[in-house]
Amino acid sequence: MQIKAAESTPVRIDASRFAVFWQSFRKNPAGPVGFWMLVFVIIIAIFAPWLTPYEQSSSASVGVADIYQPPNAEHWLGTDDAGQDVFTNFIYGARISLFVGFFAAFISIVIGGVFGLVAGFFGGRWETFLMRFTDVMLVIPDLPLMVVIVAITKPSIMNIILVIGILGWTTTARVVRSQTLAVKSRKFVLRARAIGAGKRHIVTRHILPLVMPILVVQAVLAISLAILNESALAFIGLGDPSALSWGQMLNYAFGRGAMSAGAWWALVVPGFGIVWVVLALTLLGQGLEQVLNPRLDTHHLMPGRPKVGGQAQGGALPNDVILDVRNISIHYINDGSPPARAVENISFSLRKGELMGLVGESGCGKTTLMLALLKLLPAAGQIVNGNVYYKGKDLTSMNEDEINQIRWSRISIIFQGAMNALNPVRTVGDQIAEVILKHEPNFPKPRLTDRVNELLDLVGIASDHREHFPHQYSGGMRQRAMIAMALACNPDVVIADEPTTALDVMIQAQILQLLNDLRKKLGLSVIFVTHDLGVVAELCDKALVMYGGMTAEYADVDVTYNSPKHPYTQELLKAFPDLTKPKKKLSAIPGYPPRLDSLPPGCRFAPRCPAAFDRCQREEPALHKIESGHFASCHLLEASK
Amino acid sequence: MESFGFIIPQKRYPLDRTRAILRKTAWAIFTIIFVIILNFFLFRVLPGDPARAGVRDPRLKKEAIEALQIKFGLDKPVINCFETLNPIKVGSCTVNPMETQFFIYVRNLLQGELGISYHTNRPVAEILAQRLGNTILLIGAGQILSIIIGVVFGIFAAWKARTAIDYGALAVSLMAWSLPTFWLAILLLFWGSAIGLPVAGKATPGMSSMPIFAQWADIAKHMFLPTLTYTIIYMGEYTLIMRSSLMDVLSEDYILTAKAKGLNAVQILRDHALKNAMLPMVTVIAINLGFTVAGAIQIETVFSWPGLGSSVAEAVERRDFPVLQGAFLLIAVTVILANLLADLTYTYLDPRVEVE
Repeated sequence: MQIKAAESTPVRIDASRFAVFWQSFRKNPAGPVGFWMLVFVIIIAIFAPWLTPYEQSSSASVGVADIYQPPNAEHWLGTDDAGQDVFTNFIYGARISLFVGFFAAFISIVIGGVFGLVAGFFGGRWETFLMRFTDVMLVIPDLPLMVVIVAITKPSIMNIILVIGILGWTTTARVVRSQTLAVKSRKFVLRARAIGAGKRHIVTRHILPLVMPILVVQAVLAISLAILNESALAFIGLGDPSALSWGQMLNYAFGRGAMSAGAWWALVVPGFGIVWVVLALTLLGQGLEQVLNPRLDTHHLMPGRPKVGGQAQGGALPNDVILDVRNISIHYINDGSPPARAVENISFSLRKGELMGLVGESGCGKTTLMLALLKLLPAAGQIVNGNVYYKGKDLTSMNEDEINQIRWSRISIIFQGAMNALNPVRTVGDQIAEVILKHEPNFPKPRLTDRVNELLDLVGIASDHREHFPHQYSGGMRQRAMIAMALACNPDVVIADEPTTALDVMIQAQILQLLNDLRKKLGLSVIFVTHDLGVVAELCDKALVMYGGMTAEYADVDVTYNSPKHPYTQELLKAFPDLTKPKKKLSAIPGYPPRLDSLPPGCRFAPRCPAAFDRCQREEPALHKIESGHFASCHLLEASK
Repeated sequence: MESFGFIIPQKRYPLDRTRAILRKTAWAIFTIIFVIILNFFLFRVLPGDPARAGVRDPRLKKEAIEALQIKFGLDKPVINCFETLNPIKVGSCTVNPMETQFFIYVRNLLQGELGISYHTNRPVAEILAQRLGNTILLIGAGQILSIIIGVVFGIFAAWKARTAIDYGALAVSLMAWSLPTFWLAILLLFWGSAIGLPVAGKATPGMSSMPIFAQWADIAKHMFLPTLTYTIIYMGEYTLIMRSSLMDVLSEDYILTAKAKGLNAVQILRDHALKNAMLPMVTVIAINLGFTVAGAIQIETVFSWPGLGSSVAEAVERRDFPVLQGAFLLIAVTVILANLLADLTYTYLDPRVEVE
């Protein structure tokens, strides 16, 4: 039997794209291991006549003594029920099993691909009909259906392939449809449609190339399922008697006394072949899927990297300083590439009742800095220098149990985007009560509901919403619920990380007002992370302006607004409308913030700075003290000193 | 396998629970009707016309053949306009629909009549009824064990992601996934007979005179190897799904909130992650039910377990088409109903599906 189908499905990838693909494919060992395991079997199948010591299915003279011979010098893997060489049949069996697998998978992929493309691309009635049909077929158990059809028709190899192929398309249709839907709404496809490209052109030129990779993964998986199904059918007695696949070898051995003869070799060897191929395909599928759908494979429970550097720093502090952050630096460590220097040498201190604004563009390290305060950095994040003192105790050197005592009970966080920050399957009241019980285990149970109601009342949520789930809340309510939760344990410090992003202006104003009122009422210290300078001007006592992970300027808000020293602060203020000067022209800062993994060698702001000179390109500026409580990092300040 | 189990099925949130339940039930009923029609035509369209061939089966007694003729109206046209479908023979379209094979088939089905076995001359429904219970016993035990083990392995693999524990669990799971079910069954059969475990059937002959507890213990012994096979085969897949589902949940923002609240890892897993991660598992378990039947056919055949699965294999061997047809129908309907049950469970577990 010729094995034409036993070649991997061709993919249109040019040389350079292939190199890129291969590089990311190699990152996960599963893919390459599976690939080479499969190549090995394919080579064996192709060169079967040269590898085998006997003719296929040859048993010229069979005597009783030839049956079920254990492995010996003549028959390395023994003989089977017909006195045939197991090793020879095993090698030829690879041909048949692979042929069935590839051919059946090809049929499944073509049917599933066409159904999925048609349903996804044309939509409407076609989609409804095809997808409903797919759903129905998905529920009907397929091996029993295959058994019925093959049993009624003749169990010839072509029949088996057709049945396995025709019944195996459902998953592919679903996956291809959703991919087509996703691709269809991409810009370049919409553009092609807008300029009047024909449907056929769009499908073949724009959609198919993007659906192709998913089809390849599906094909790999379909081959392994087809091989397993063929062997199961053969084992039940529905194999082609003239095509000795691995499954058929097992059927003969099991049905013709290998068990009672103790002929383990006749049973173990063909099964090993199936396991080898299916495992190879599984690994290959895993590897390909990793390339298509890279998953970071990290999560919030993975242990963080231990802190390095940062000796304890002494020095007297004013009594009312609650939080003192000194020279903190945070890197993201990526295996194989240089670390991303997300936060570099930042210091600030927070007094009781003080509201500090932390200002900066997206991606400048604000959130990283805030997460580091409570050791909440993702697994790749590492504090490489500096300390965080809370009432004189260094938080960065605490272990998990110690820091868990501080988290939320002393320092709490209002996360941005409260939709995702609240657990969707627990009621809001329950999530608030949880944190009270965690930090005050002796809190009287009967008072708990009252306390939760009290907190909700504080942020203006009626107590009958206590039993509701987050998805039943509006966006503003969720944010307020988050604030109520942050206040549950009477903390000293509340970190509000962009609490009003994604809310409309009216709600934003309400939330800010609420935060400010609560601060005054409860004597909280608040760190307010934002990119809205107006809010900082209105609410805050102090402002820390960050640029590219560094302190640009740190001062009282009045100073920041009236005599900014850093060019970045100055430019920011120019971009900000001032009601007292209505005719003033607003200006934007050209360019983009730097990427943290490829920082410029000198000052991080230099490429966008209107006042940059050559020293700025070479040398990072130090943080200069301008007067007490006013710091900025810029070479210009040194020159003026 | 839903995209091989590595992709978590998309969650859809219908707006209210009652409508969701009604829709799902309606779909299950529609699917069952589809299967009933498919089952009828499969045995008449495909070459050989097994339905009629049966009447000529030499193994059947004369009385049985007459009973079949009357019971299933095999001398009547298949359906309006067609005498037979293979070969296609056009007939009168004005026949009373109630006088066609199709409606007689449906009517018989509604009365629980599935035909008469060629092999034993006994009603198919009677044979299958005895065996359904045994299969449910085996699949039930195997499912429960593999789900428990898979979930526990999956939790540890995700929690200790990218450590030796994780890689170990992944390797074992992928290996288990790649094993052909019947082959593992054969290997365990070898091992079981070597250490003296019962390897065939459901009970030792003559046990029925023993006290009830001794009978149960005997059945449990016979169940050990089939259940073990079943557990190993499906455990790997559940581990992979639970791991990837929990990994997704643990990267959500609300887990960071839970961590910021000062909860420790065990509290976070127990109170915030597990319920959310289990939700997709319910869907996967439902989708898997069809595949577990495939496993049951193979396992029951190897261990001669008297269930639906081995009756399929026996019917194939004996070309006993009424039993095959009946078994397929019963398996398909059971899987569809079990699927519906899992779907409805999901509706109740996820608060995002609201009550009207």
